[in-house]
Amino acid sequence: MGMTAVEKVLAAKSGRASVKPGDVVSPDPDFIMIHDGVVMGAKRELDALGITKLAAPDKVMMVTDHDVIYGSARAAERGAFNRKAAAQWGVKNFYDVGRGGHGHIFPMESGLLLPGMFYFDNDRHATNAGAIGAFGFRMGGEISRVLATGTNWVMVPKTVRLTLRGKLKPGVHARDIGFRFAALLKQGGLAADLDYRVLEYAGDLEQFDLAGRAALCSTPTEIRAYGVFVPPSEAILEHARTKAQRPFTPVYSDADAHYDADLKMDIAALEPQVSLPGSVENAVDVSEIESTPVDHAFIGSCGSGMWEDLVAAASVLKGRRLAPNVRLFVAPGSEATNRRLAAEGLLGTFIEAGAVMLPPGCGPCNDAVIGPVHSGEVSISTATNNNAGRFGAKDAKLYLGSPATVAASAVVGKIADARKLARS
Amino acid sequence: MNEFQWLLKGRCYKLGHDVPHPGGVIPNWLIAGRYLDPKDLVPHLFEETDPGFHTRCKPGDIIVTGRNFGMGPKMNGYIAMQALGLGLVCESMPFLAYRAAIGCGVRVLTDCVNVTEMCETGDELEIDFRDGFFINHTKDIRREYPPMPDTLMEIVELGGNAGWLKDWQEKRRAGAA
Repeated sequence: MGMTAVEKVLAAKSGRASVKPGDVVSPDPDFIMIHDGVVMGAKRELDALGITKLAAPDKVMMVTDHDVIYGSARAAERGAFNRKAAAQWGVKNFYDVGRGGHGHIFPMESGLLLPGMFYFDNDRHATNAGAIGAFGFRMGGEISRVLATGTNWVMVPKTVRLTLRGKLKPGVHARDIGFRFAALLKQGGLAADLDYRVLEYAGDLEQFDLAGRAALCSTPTEIRAYGVFVPPSEAILEHARTKAQRPFTPVYSDADAHYDADLKMDIAALEPQVSLPGSVENAVDVSEIESTPVDHAFIGSCGSGMWEDLVAAASVLKGRRLAPNVRLFVAPGSEATNRRLAAEGLLGTFIEAGAVMLPPGCGPCNDAVIGPVHSGEVSISTATNNNAGRFGAKDAKLYLGSPATVAASAVVGKIADARKLARS
Repeated sequence: MNEFQWLLKGRCYKLGHDVPHPGGVIPNWLIAGRYLDPKDLVPHLFEETDPGFHTRCKPGDIIVTGRNFGMGPKMNGYIAMQALGLGLVCESMPFLAYRAAIGCGVRVLTDCVNVTEMCETGDELEIDFRDGFFINHTKDIRREYPPMPDTLMEIVELGGNAGWLKDWQEKRRAGAA
């Protein structure tokens, strides 16, 4: 019996010839990521035990992305604490404010996270690593054990395969696939349990660039996948080789690997999707919900913050202005993308349209530390999910769409199909 | 140090399928308020479905649940279970609920298919978490379920993640001395 990609990576990092789902291993990670919001808790926990030295400070990446510009005195205090913690721990890979961007995006762009790698992260959106053919596993509060000892226990997850058939129509985005997939699972059109599974994509994947692959990782995470894996194409490998800051070995599932479920989805006829408030699973074709007035819009997050996402949004906004009652926030995924937006003129497009540019990072999609919604307001965004209260008032209505759909809706002032805007 | 009790003998406390952690196990206000001290949590275990549970249960009693036990934000209820010396046996639970139970030092078995059909509340149960042996003395039923993995037993024996890390640090210090 062959192994799936995640089994191969966990076996290799655990010094074993093979592993199978259910095995408990302690993999040696390529790196360890800790985000700004949890550094204080981990530092205090370890200090209380007298653990002042980390197992592998050179492997630790500290990232300021959840609360970047300190909207409160408490946030500023945490920023200061984190800087002191990095110095005390001897963490040199500290991507503080203005230094890296979103921890689930810039490492893939810049060749820090490469195909075949494995890392630990406190945050569940580490699943984004699948976009480049790597794995990031969420540890939550147990990241402190990883910092102290260099590893933690991992039960090898089962793998579910999703084969995509066909080519997306112009104007349809990889995020739309995730929304539809979640709806199909909920409605029974597809049957699989994603709890603690790795969702591995197969089929017609050549059409997806790195941003498209990050988008494919987003929604499965919200419906409990523990990892997502998109086998790297030649274009992705070429990107990785060009940017690589260290050697890497891509990993692919064996032909005779075992899958917990084997799903197929035809995407050739897919329409742009909008997830209705409450859950990513509430996806409908945009035509079913067009004309719903919106107050708030946001483009960014782990799933939609890369260069190509912002190009898709800018192509809709170019030469247009936001509807008078809409505020649009844009959070690029990385400082590098921000610089490129400026260099190639897209920053001007966003600003001239009336959008507010946020610093690279999570934007409102983290406990509404910035750009929240008010009670009763309607938002459409590319946030990772639209659970009640995701970014502000619990009774606000949060819709989700692709970057193009969100940009078009912000221009029209109502939920809109970007393809119609392009034709008019 | 007393030997850790992997074999529990006690009464069954049976729950159905899809019992969520907030509300079903412990009131949500304790979760949202980030109460983590067993003293605060114990009086409220199963409070919304069975007020006074903590006064009637005894160390060694075993909570037996149906499928999908413990959805939602987790941890606080397991802290209470650990403090009360209870065991937990589930037909299934979301993996992160299982991980949280282990991290809080709860003796737990999951993937025990149809275990709720093998017992009723009040039955005298005997369960060995090391090998997964299940005996219902009241109904004279014996079954074998998947045991706890060895690596995870070590965490539970030390009282959960915090205890494990403390022990790791103490051993390291002793080794360095």
